[in-house]
Amino acid sequence: MQKDILLTMQEDLERALLKPAEKRRWAMLIDLRKCVGCHACTIGCVSENKLPPKMAYRPVYEYEQGAYPKISRTFLPRPCMQCDNPPCVKACPVKGPQGATWKETMGDAAGVVRINYAKCIGCGQCVPACPYQARALDEGHFHTEGTPELMKYESMPSFEYFQKNQRIGKNQPVGNARKCHFCVHRLAVGQLPMCITTCIGRAGYFGDENDQESLIAQVKKGAKIQILKKGAGTKPRVYYIANEKLEVLYG
Amino acid sequence: MVKKSVSTLPGDLINKEVSRRDFLKTSALIGCGALVASQLDFARGLIARVEAGELTHAEAYELLKAENTLYTVCLNCNTGCGIKVKILDGVAVKIDGNPYNPWTLNPHLPMSEELTKAVKVDGAICPKGQAGHQEAYDPYRVRKVLKRAGKRGEGKWVSVPFTQAISEIVGGGLLFKDVPGEETRQVTGLKEIYVLKDAKVYEDMAKDVAALRKLKKPEEKTKAVADFKTKYAADLDKLIDPEHPDFGPKNNQFVYMWGRKKGGRSDFSKRFYETFGTVNGHGHTTVCQGSLYFASKALSEQYVGNTFKDGQKFYWQADQENAEYILFVGANLFDANYGPSNRTPRITQRLVDGTLKIDVVDPRFSKLASKANRWLPVKPGADAALAMGMVRWIMENKRFDAKYLSNANKAAATADKETTWCNASWLVKLDKDGKPGALLRAHEIGLKDKETRKDKDGKEFEFEYLVAMKDGQPVAFEPDDEKEAVKGELFVTAELKDKEGKPIPVKSSLQLLLETSQEKTIAQYAEICGLEEQVITDVAKEFTSHGKKACVDMHRGPAQHTNGFYNITSLMYLNLLVGNFDWKGGMMAFSAYNTDGTKTDKQPFNMKKLSPKAGKPFGLSIIRHDAKYEESTIFADYPAKRNWWPLSSDVYEEIIPSCADAYPYSIKALFSYMGAPTYALPAGQTNIEALANLERIPLYFTSDIVIGSTSMYADYIFPDLHYLERWEFHGSHPNMPIKVQPIRQPVIAAPVQLVKVFGEEQPISYETVWLALAEQLGLPGFGPNGFGEGQPLGRPDDLYIRMVANIATDGKEPVPDASQAEIDLFMKSRQHLPKSVFDAERWQKIAGAVWPKVVYVLNRGGRFDTQEQGWKDDHVANKYGKYINLYEEKTYKCKDAFTGKHFHGIARYVPICNTLGEEPKAFSNGYDLQMITQRDVRMTKSRTIASQYLTDSMPENSVIIHTSDAGRLGLKTGDQVRISSATNPKGEWNLLNGNKKAMAGKVQVTETIRPGIITFTIGHGHWATGANDVTIDGKVIKGDPRRAAGFNANAAMWIDPHLKNTCMIDKVGGSVSFYDTKVKLERV
Repeated sequence: MQKDILLTMQEDLERALLKPAEKRRWAMLIDLRKCVGCHACTIGCVSENKLPPKMAYRPVYEYEQGAYPKISRTFLPRPCMQCDNPPCVKACPVKGPQGATWKETMGDAAGVVRINYAKCIGCGQCVPACPYQARALDEGHFHTEGTPELMKYESMPSFEYFQKNQRIGKNQPVGNARKCHFCVHRLAVGQLPMCITTCIGRAGYFGDENDQESLIAQVKKGAKIQILKKGAGTKPRVYYIANEKLEVLYG
Repeated sequence: MVKKSVSTLPGDLINKEVSRRDFLKTSALIGCGALVASQLDFARGLIARVEAGELTHAEAYELLKAENTLYTVCLNCNTGCGIKVKILDGVAVKIDGNPYNPWTLNPHLPMSEELTKAVKVDGAICPKGQAGHQEAYDPYRVRKVLKRAGKRGEGKWVSVPFTQAISEIVGGGLLFKDVPGEETRQVTGLKEIYVLKDAKVYEDMAKDVAALRKLKKPEEKTKAVADFKTKYAADLDKLIDPEHPDFGPKNNQFVYMWGRKKGGRSDFSKRFYETFGTVNGHGHTTVCQGSLYFASKALSEQYVGNTFKDGQKFYWQADQENAEYILFVGANLFDANYGPSNRTPRITQRLVDGTLKIDVVDPRFSKLASKANRWLPVKPGADAALAMGMVRWIMENKRFDAKYLSNANKAAATADKETTWCNASWLVKLDKDGKPGALLRAHEIGLKDKETRKDKDGKEFEFEYLVAMKDGQPVAFEPDDEKEAVKGELFVTAELKDKEGKPIPVKSSLQLLLETSQEKTIAQYAEICGLEEQVITDVAKEFTSHGKKACVDMHRGPAQHTNGFYNITSLMYLNLLVGNFDWKGGMMAFSAYNTDGTKTDKQPFNMKKLSPKAGKPFGLSIIRHDAKYEESTIFADYPAKRNWWPLSSDVYEEIIPSCADAYPYSIKALFSYMGAPTYALPAGQTNIEALANLERIPLYFTSDIVIGSTSMYADYIFPDLHYLERWEFHGSHPNMPIKVQPIRQPVIAAPVQLVKVFGEEQPISYETVWLALAEQLGLPGFGPNGFGEGQPLGRPDDLYIRMVANIATDGKEPVPDASQAEIDLFMKSRQHLPKSVFDAERWQKIAGAVWPKVVYVLNRGGRFDTQEQGWKDDHVANKYGKYINLYEEKTYKCKDAFTGKHFHGIARYVPICNTLGEEPKAFSNGYDLQMITQRDVRMTKSRTIASQYLTDSMPENSVIIHTSDAGRLGLKTGDQVRISSATNPKGEWNLLNGNKKAMAGKVQVTETIRPGIITFTIGHGHWATGANDVTIDGKVIKGDPRRAAGFNANAAMWIDPHLKNTCMIDKVGGSVSFYDTKVKLERV
């Protein structure tokens, strides 16, 4: 009997974590043929990372093509592409090894475009720099704002970037730029990113694509892969499989 | 879509850096203990990296600790996925899927897997499940009992002590003398209607009433009533109306209704209302997919003695993991249909691989249709035309499974490795017009005499043999005979003779189906359902090209029409024609571990034996279910005032309007639980009007977690617990191949007031209300000796721990004992729960010797077979395993209460009609669009609007319309339009007391819907549940406008012109008409 691919990928992950960071290459692959547009990834991520209202690290966009009755619908989840050539990093004024955002090369988060909330000055310059609209500023709002009571669950800590962030008042990450980070705090403990783990269509794949045994490497090898906005030269680490030409839907 | 915002506000720059020292300190407190055994190697690697100066905060991930993890069951829809709730400082902070539960991982972890391993595996759940804790932490939760301080629905409340509310409900009196207009209104309390208590009188009266109902002549009935009055002269004051003893005792004037309720809570209430002696406990089935349930009930009626009974209120769904082809009809399992997290992962990869092909019948190009081979954009309500077109083609092209269909009894089926069989070959008598009636009995043609037999309790009954044709000769047989196999001819038209030699014309069931299907050509069927003839034959061919591994899987789409019962039955014929029931890849029935202790003798708590010996309630219910109009003492002529329901129950749309009509009698008190009929029913505004009727509904109390769109019209609202705070046994669904029993258990404390009932401190809950009412009324079966001497039923868990013990010990083998380490973890992970919720000592005392098994099951959120246990060879392991009706004698024997005509024993396409049998042409004049509804996976009808994660993702719904219709009306995406119909020409909700809400929303233009049809998603457009301002104890609590956003167009749905206060209905199967109304759109 075949395993649920969630378990297979967790095993891949455990294996990958034993490798030195530089030998590993975290990547995500989304098979849109299996995405059913349920938004579980979006909401799961919002809850896991304690995102404020109107912010989503991984929105799912919907496209419709054709004319009745010959039509198609496409659901396109769009996390941060963790670009190897990230324009957002270039746009950040807080530079250097102690900078506010950088492409990580070491440790469990190697390969992820990180933000250091403590260094981020909230200038917002990175936000329009991203061609995928993957970044947003946390303006300090809460979901239960405007109701009789601000509820405690909202100010309970999140664990982004291995830190225990109690988002309350003006504590970080309020005022900071925020974005998807492949849930590195989960990866480090051998758990899949939230969006992948809660994908009811099992459309998402995650792992070390350098590991040829890994499911993501095998799926990638066996299919025609697309990336978003190839022309932007960003070198994304998020790949797609789709029947449709994604360049047409989201060029 | 999520709009991202840019701001230049600088962040808080001061002192946010976490120093290495801080990290080490933190990790010393909450560090390596978090790591589970399977990660030790990994942890050692971490330490190495820490030593190498490569710091990581991985250890600090507090959501990965077994002691912070509890397993329970979601209830943000009825799918009931297993969830894993992660708790910090007693607060539920994150919800994921329970990996032991097959709803969220496929295959799921076996129960033998260590908890320390499972904690690391998060199963997949839908966005509603992810957002569930927001509804527990809803600032608009009711925490104390609210009593109405203004008119019903006016939104003025005072908080009152729990005991005061209970005393008032039980005792009655001038309860609302402070409300203007009600100064002198005397309310009857429950104690005045809990009057008939003598079990013997119940039994005798019930027997006499049953006999009285069977009398055909009016004068016989009159005499029987007179005799009844003489016989029970001493007890006549306890009857609702002595002239109508079939109404039953006054106890029936207490009506209890519910929306979403599962095992456990249903056992609790049943124990109360059956002991109280009322027949009026009614669920909500018909607002969901009633006609699917009741058509399947009719299909599953068993031949017992000489009649049909014991049909199951259930249905079948496809074995998605093994089917090669599935025709989904009006089923959108990516958004709903028991449900997204469970059914989706079983097919997505198979669809990509091509091992499963699906076609989707739906007026909408649903998410499911977007993954299908073919989309069949059927006209709403014409599903039976498609089905009968396919039936005709399959029959005429001999593509049916003749071997299966010819098995007349169990022995024949068994010989063919079939576990089900049907009456395709049985002979049906024809009347003088050649119309089918009752099945032929063998004694009628002198073939084999009746027999007197004894049932397992030693009670005598008459058995009559049935007849099939074999080699041109009639043969007598018994359907359940396991020894003598009888295979009958399939196409029979014959004339047999009775004992006197009079002719008896007969036909076989399958012959009748063939002829019925031939009443129209396939081209005519195609015309009716709006599809190409070629598509019908192509799909019929595809469906019959996969042996038993092809299914027709249906849900609300075909069911929620005035012709729902016949639509469903027609579609089920297709499954019968290939005989796919119980086969791997075929249609399956659900299977669940038993909770009431009646299954095996190893189960410690047999609830039948632990229930009080009260009289069995009798009399007509307020919704007249399980009763025929013709047999009642109020039978006059046709049409009846309202419908009668011999084939259906839990007819939701009947409850409140029947109370308002006092038909068949007036009621005194109404209790509603977790349901919002005003919001959820078609033409729900009729229920608002009825609830405002103080004369006909003199007392109305409810249990709710918020002031909801229905509970806002109540006299008292008792706060209830959110599903994360309470118990239930969720059971299973027919798409789940394995045997399970998911358990909902408290994982967080509730914010509601603590009260004492039977001396036991507990948060006010649904159960607490029943307990307190029982305490004040002195109802047996509750309190210190509720389960027997010294065995109390004074709190919810007194019942529920017993049920868990029964689950743990059901089956061939009980579950193993929890180890001491597991018991320790059980305690540690619940240390945030107060004693009023979790009391291990008391629980252990209740469970006795099986306590470690109870812990084992609760630690995993229920009991689940392994994936391997789902199938055996070519069959599913958990079988339906019984006879199925093709021709329905029982259905035929029931008459339409409005026309007096027999229902059809063979289903067929019938047009959309009102109760009088008229096509609603006048209603359609001037209304050019047919309106249907749909679910979005992010919304459930009433409760999900309280979750901001969901409203943030989907702030409002829209009027979804085809490009051509939008063009014709000059509408574009984003335009605001009002929806109106012939029965709601103003296009608004009348919420009473001067409050109105327009049915208006934004247009969304699309190609993904059949032209001429509009749709909207249910879940938005609330007027309560925190959406509006309310006044409590003189203080105004402002509503949250996010909850009022969007619209609910149910109030546009047609009101039946004869009933006048109820939507249109399926007179046979009970469903409400959701998809038949013609509307128009006007720009606002």
